[in-house]
Amino acid sequence: MASDAELIGRSLAGDGEAFMEVIGRHEVAIGAYLERRVGREAAEDLLGDVWVAAFESRRTYDRSYAEARPWLYTMALNRLRHYWRSRPAEDLVPDVTGLANGWDPWPAVDVRVDTRTVLRAALAGLRSEEREVLALVAGEDLTVADAARVLGMPAGTARRLLHQARAALRNAPEVAALLTELNSVKGSK
Amino acid sequence: MDEMDLASQALDVTPWGPESYERARTVLRGAMAESGTLQEAAPMPEVVPVRGRGFSRAGSRRRGTLATRGKVGIGAGIGAVAAAAALVLVATSTPQPATPTSQPAAPTGSASQTSAATSPLMTLAALIKASDNGPLPGNASLVIQNQSGSGQPAGVVYALYTDSGIMYTGGDKQTLMSGMTQPLDPRNSATYRWAVAARSAASGDLAAARKRMINTFPNCFGLGLSPAAQKQIWVKCLAAGAALRKEKGDKTPAKQPTGKELQSEIDNTLWTACYDAMNWAGGDPRIREGVLRLVSTIPEVTVTNSTADGQPALIMTAEPPLFGDSSSEQVLTVNAKTGMPIRSVESGGGLATSTQTFQFSRVTVANIKAGKF
Repeated sequence: MASDAELIGRSLAGDGEAFMEVIGRHEVAIGAYLERRVGREAAEDLLGDVWVAAFESRRTYDRSYAEARPWLYTMALNRLRHYWRSRPAEDLVPDVTGLANGWDPWPAVDVRVDTRTVLRAALAGLRSEEREVLALVAGEDLTVADAARVLGMPAGTARRLLHQARAALRNAPEVAALLTELNSVKGSK
Repeated sequence: MDEMDLASQALDVTPWGPESYERARTVLRGAMAESGTLQEAAPMPEVVPVRGRGFSRAGSRRRGTLATRGKVGIGAGIGAVAAAAALVLVATSTPQPATPTSQPAAPTGSASQTSAATSPLMTLAALIKASDNGPLPGNASLVIQNQSGSGQPAGVVYALYTDSGIMYTGGDKQTLMSGMTQPLDPRNSATYRWAVAARSAASGDLAAARKRMINTFPNCFGLGLSPAAQKQIWVKCLAAGAALRKEKGDKTPAKQPTGKELQSEIDNTLWTACYDAMNWAGGDPRIREGVLRLVSTIPEVTVTNSTADGQPALIMTAEPPLFGDSSSEQVLTVNAKTGMPIRSVESGGGLATSTQTFQFSRVTVANIKAGKF
């Protein structure tokens, strides 16, 4: 199977379907990433923008990296930043239901409601860079090195930020209590 | 379990339906198709893209007069057509005086009238979906609108609506082609939002799609916001409109609409967006399907079975209450089997009746740019 880097190379040579194949490999992950940050509705709108941005930037892709997913996360993060920047200007565009309803970038699905509430409060206390690293590592299953690549920072910095984020979460009393409870329930089974 | 496990669980999301990914791919395909050819063309900066309507007009009743205004640039060269294109989505909130006028030139035939909220539009939408044979040929829809009435000479407007949501218009083929030499970013345009909203309706989430289509252009409704936030928006809206009203000598104090009046204004906005989307982007079956589903939610629109130009037809009539007066009407006639727009007629409100007829076809952007149409 051709690597993402090879497909991007073919795309640059004029093979449009090659880039579509790259997209097909990563659309679920990138879509989920967007949803975690802005909610489902906006994420669905943004996904096409991410693909267009990636397509237009594919000449800048470093083809020494075989897998393009971290690069696509970078594209997605750029679109998210653009989206967030544009929100104040669109204050009067009322399609902000998600925000009005207490937009939650960390939707829990199978975990107790308490988990989401507790984590939201704890995550809100993190620095934005710490949150970004944590989201990529915990939410997207990226390695710290890949997360660093997405965020355009040295791996050591990302590692430090993740360490800080984890420590902050661990030390948040509500998170600590929840972990104790969950682990004791698990242990008693 | 540690804090990372907890975060991972909390960050879980449910999978999307395949149509969501397909929609994003469609946007990409459109951009890919356009990028190859746009790079070869010399930019023509004097040509401006279609833009969204301004906020200050939001909240007042409007009639979807895209087609009428599309005539402005006919035969007047690139600059004028550019202005016409810009106007296409601008300044639609002409107050509608309640003066009697002629009836719309709707086709005649056996007519059994029903509420739009009942099944004919949904049935037709389902028919369109059932006829979906996968990817469409080409990457854009061309519509040739023949326009008459409205106190202006008859004319033609060519409009190309790409699958990525960009719209180009011209009063003749050459002008359309010239306008396409400027790369446009569709993502913030109203024409793009039509596609997103309509496709969202076609994929099933009608309530969300309705809101999206209403929000195609900025408005004062604050849908989904708290009453307090809505009130804040209305305060800003009313303040923005106050200067304009003063200029016009209107001393009537404006107030935030509520209840039935508010609902009617929301429906007016939805209808206008649907009407515009159908008239210009109706060559895409998914947009037709979505628009029909959306229109079915508007109680002020009635649907009549009929025939038009020898075709079985559905006639959607947006009744005067939707426009806040006693005479304004918009009538959109579509093929009863395909949903393809056949004609639209606007009348009342003290304006001359205008009629647009449509010829839609699927094309490629490259062919249109090369003049192969």
